[in-house]
Amino acid sequence: MSDFRQSQNEAHPNKTNILLTGIILLLILFVTIQIWFLFGALNNALQENLNFAITTAVGSLAFAFASFWLLRYLPEPIKNSKKK
Amino acid sequence: MSKDNREEIPQWKQDFPIQQKEATHVSRREFAKFLTLLSGALAVGNTAIVVKSLAFPEKPLVGEHPICLESEVAEGESFQFEIQGSKTIPYLLINLGEGEWRAFEQKCTHLSCAVKYRHDIGQIECPCHKGYFNPRTGNVIQGPPPRPLPQLEVVIREGQVFVKAQNT
Ligand code: FES
Repeated sequence: MSDFRQSQNEAHPNKTNILLTGIILLLILFVTIQIWFLFGALNNALQENLNFAITTAVGSLAFAFASFWLLRYLPEPIKNSKKK
Repeated sequence: MSKDNREEIPQWKQDFPIQQKEATHVSRREFAKFLTLLSGALAVGNTAIVVKSLAFPEKPLVGEHPICLESEVAEGESFQFEIQGSKTIPYLLINLGEGEWRAFEQKCTHLSCAVKYRHDIGQIECPCHKGYFNPRTGNVIQGPPPRPLPQLEVVIREGQVFVKAQNT
């Protein structure tokens, strides 16, 4: 029996690939920016520059939420439902 | 109609596969989830910095601390001492001569190596990466340190050397 999902997957076999690549690239971008923030905050904490630390912390949290929210769009693994 | 392969294998069996190839395999979905976790950890770390500096602010030095006798440190010499506070910080007392005394934190602002005073060149030197500081102001003359050395004020009374926090 074939359903809508299956015919979609057959018509666009690259869709999962592209979605996953896009999501992973975005995640890597987020994590890179967060590392940058953390590095800056560590440097500036020494200088008692609290404003910078707060700004980067808020930005970092926003990126973390964005990353979790991105997981919603992870495509389901294509089910191996070929008939024998 | 055959059932889906994944649904037939219970979860615990997926976690302990027989084939080594399956055990070391990281799918792209797992990788994406790992990245998300990393992102969360970084955010937590960044928040921790803020919380730490808000909840446990560093206390400035209070009062005068006796260090040593004036006669103990000859001209052009330096003397190491520590002050116990919320943490123990090593300091360097320098006799520049002509009654000029200075006290600096001994930790280099670059990577926390111990700095030493060199009277022959009239500069404070960090031996680790050749950073040089002005022994009067603590400003960076040369090298990788990003900030001047933190300074204490030196007071001499009746032949005894005291230090206290600056501009108090
Ligand atoms: S630690 Fe002092 S110059 Fe690098």
